[in-house]
Amino acid sequence: MKTAATLTVNGAAYPVELDPHLSLLDAVRDLIGLTGSKEGCDDSECGACMMLLDGKPVNSCSYLALQADGRDVTTVEGLAEGDELTPLQRALLEHGGVQCGFCTPGMLISATALLREHPDPSEEDVRIALSGNLCRCTGYDGIVRAVRSAARSSA
Amino acid sequence: MAVGTSGGKTFIRPDGREKVTGAGRYTADLASTGMAHAAFRYADHPHARILRIDTTKARALPGVVAVVTQGDLPDVRFGGLVQDRTLFAKDVVRFEGEIVAGVAALTETAAAEAARLIEVEYEPLPVLTDFVAAMDADAPLVHSDWSSYERDEQMVADGNTISYSTIVKGDANAAMARADVVVKSRYESDASQGVPIEPRAVLAEWRGDEVTIWSSTQVPYAARSGVAQTLQIPEANVRVVVPLLGGGFGAKCDLHFEAQVAALARAARRPVRLVFSRQEEFRAIAQRREGIVMEFETGAMRDGRLVARRARLVLDKGAYCGEGGFLGQMAAMHACGPYVIEAISVESFLNYSNRQPSGSVRAPTAPQVCWGLEQHMDEVARELGLDPVELRRRTLIERGAEGPTRQVFDEIGVKQTLERAVEMIRYDRDLPEDEAIGVAVGWWPSGPAPSGAYIHLNGDGSGTIVTGAQENGSGAVMAMPTFVGEELGMEPESFTLLYQDTAAANWDMGSCGSQTTFNSGRAILAAAADVRGQLLDAAAAELEVDREDLELAEGQVRVKGSPDRSVSIADIAGAGTIHGKGSGDVPEVPAGDTGGCVGRLGSETFAAPQLITQAAHVKVDRETGVVRVLKVAAAHDSGVILNRMGADGQVTGGVVMGLGLALSEGTVFDDDGRQRNPHLLDYKLVTCSDAPEIEIDWVQIPTENAGPRGSKGVGEPPQVPTAAAIANAVAKVLGRRVRQLPMTPERVWAASAEVGS
Repeated sequence: MKTAATLTVNGAAYPVELDPHLSLLDAVRDLIGLTGSKEGCDDSECGACMMLLDGKPVNSCSYLALQADGRDVTTVEGLAEGDELTPLQRALLEHGGVQCGFCTPGMLISATALLREHPDPSEEDVRIALSGNLCRCTGYDGIVRAVRSAARSSA
Repeated sequence: MAVGTSGGKTFIRPDGREKVTGAGRYTADLASTGMAHAAFRYADHPHARILRIDTTKARALPGVVAVVTQGDLPDVRFGGLVQDRTLFAKDVVRFEGEIVAGVAALTETAAAEAARLIEVEYEPLPVLTDFVAAMDADAPLVHSDWSSYERDEQMVADGNTISYSTIVKGDANAAMARADVVVKSRYESDASQGVPIEPRAVLAEWRGDEVTIWSSTQVPYAARSGVAQTLQIPEANVRVVVPLLGGGFGAKCDLHFEAQVAALARAARRPVRLVFSRQEEFRAIAQRREGIVMEFETGAMRDGRLVARRARLVLDKGAYCGEGGFLGQMAAMHACGPYVIEAISVESFLNYSNRQPSGSVRAPTAPQVCWGLEQHMDEVARELGLDPVELRRRTLIERGAEGPTRQVFDEIGVKQTLERAVEMIRYDRDLPEDEAIGVAVGWWPSGPAPSGAYIHLNGDGSGTIVTGAQENGSGAVMAMPTFVGEELGMEPESFTLLYQDTAAANWDMGSCGSQTTFNSGRAILAAAADVRGQLLDAAAAELEVDREDLELAEGQVRVKGSPDRSVSIADIAGAGTIHGKGSGDVPEVPAGDTGGCVGRLGSETFAAPQLITQAAHVKVDRETGVVRVLKVAAAHDSGVILNRMGADGQVTGGVVMGLGLALSEGTVFDDDGRQRNPHLLDYKLVTCSDAPEIEIDWVQIPTENAGPRGSKGVGEPPQVPTAAAIANAVAKVLGRRVRQLPMTPERVWAASAEVGS
């Protein structure tokens, strides 16, 4: 049986009918059509599905869509202001932190949450904050440098 | 000039914006009106004869629009050097991920339920999981009738051995007998996985007799020919398009499910999409890293000269050949390594088993064999009383040296990589007793192959680069507009790319074999040279000067020394149609003497070899067996580096992948050949907080038979010696060797405690 709910994603409210077992990731991808968040494992292991829920990062593959009813969801599509990339998005490109790009949406969400809490994180802070996001391409080097560089440029 | 440093302008990859905004589409992000969802029914036994398949209940389930088994399809076997597999199982299943049937339904839930409702009756057959015991006289046969299969004549077929390859140089037995010291070692590597973060997805849609397939493949042209062969339709009727590809690492090479999904879509008369779960990505793909049992024996003289090498390798092919028929011979080359050895006798067996098929994963066979051989070399050094680095200084190949098959090397930078790596890691410093530095050397060939490209100049002076090249994420294709811009005196931003679409460009090998810059880049630069020639001809006529007096710069063709006398490229392009094409000359594969060698499958000499030394600084906790890698220094000879940011990214990524191979990544099979850890909770990738500091340097020297602008390949070598360097460091701390890969805490602890090992 479906339940009527409202998902607020990137500032826009979407009325949806939710199956009780539907994940937040599937709701956002399939019902709302925002496919930027990725499914890499469906197991909370890879972090490609991460979204901000009321500002806190969650693995949306393992989060029920119904639990997000009435709360604020931010996906990778909601980070840039119009055509203007955030300092973090720009830095990720400038430092070679993007290769295949499949982990990138989740990385950006984790790093955005980190920088809101710690505007000037140490390298260790960054590495720990991103340890729930697997990347197979970059060896993380460019990503870590990008996050620290973005922190400095926003400071 | 390298991309990323040219003119002080920061290189931003053309696909970068869509990747950081979430706008970019990967295959699983695509949908089509009326689309149905695919699900597979996998084998219920790792080895069994199929007695009956009943799809009645599945077909009756509401929402099911197609069910397909092999009986519905042409009776065709596919595979590379041995054609041993059908799209869906025919008569016999040979591993747990074998596909017995496919269904398409209007929802994913209905598809999964329908797959479950298919009734299959089996007669279980003896299961062969031990790929060494596979050679015993009484071993059950994985393929009982494979003498009837089509195969390459160099594939030496016997029992469960799919290929037997040797490297023979001189008389190794006689040389061994006169050596001052003889060292023997045995090492064993477990199977492991490529694990791209994007699980595989395929979407197929027919229009009349033509099918378009969007697929997360590294090799769209191989996928196209595989679909054409197995469905018995012309290649012209098959178009394979790759949306953004979420990594591959070899695991997305070969024909993989494109044909099954196309068959389902044809039966359903609707578009059909398949999206793999992570568990399927582990179990059902025919591309994992092979387990290898390695025995090395080296005879050396007191001064370090290597006079003899004997080696015997046994590799785990799994149930089917796929594109991996060459693995045995490639492994044999790595059992020799980039060393001067007077006499060699290496034999390599590639054996079937009832396990998931193995295939090319980033530098296939090399990291495992290098991990064994480079530990063995340290053992030789110890026996000789030489420092391991000094032994390598004395024995590595250099210009004029002779390889395992008497290939004579031209300029080659392996000794320079050794010195640079040792320098960067500060090899001679004192360290605490639980820390040490290990060094390892490896090699990998560049892969000369055909490619082709077109460049169209549009009427407004912008350009379109059309290439068969496949972008796996490395950035190799993304750098092409920069190279073309340099050739034509235009801005990189003037060009867009039409790529990874088999209907657009001609054949390309795909993102495999470290070949994109080497071959696709050569073709694109040849097409740019064609355009350049046409622009010069047009401008020479217009300006009434000789071609030789003209140059291309700032979007103009202008007279050298008189920049005012010029015509804009946009004007020339607008006046007619400028379109160039090119393939370039494929570099030659060097000659060797393979007279005494059996099973020659194309890896017997190395074209434009890439050389690598890596040094690893590790810290070992003897109590827990946990190894922490603090730093890796990586020095590579990949010829001239054209894209520094991209090349460095291959090293940082390859080293971290190699670290995973070294310490945590191993597929565990049970006694029935089933994977016990087909998920990321128990198959551990390296995380950000475990990744070490990585320092990189490039030894850039001229190379014979190089790719464009003196380049060689870059993508695969970074992973080759990482596990070996870590192993040698661990052995220094422990005073004992860990002889099984991955070197998990349990195995390190056991070696430390002198339990087993």
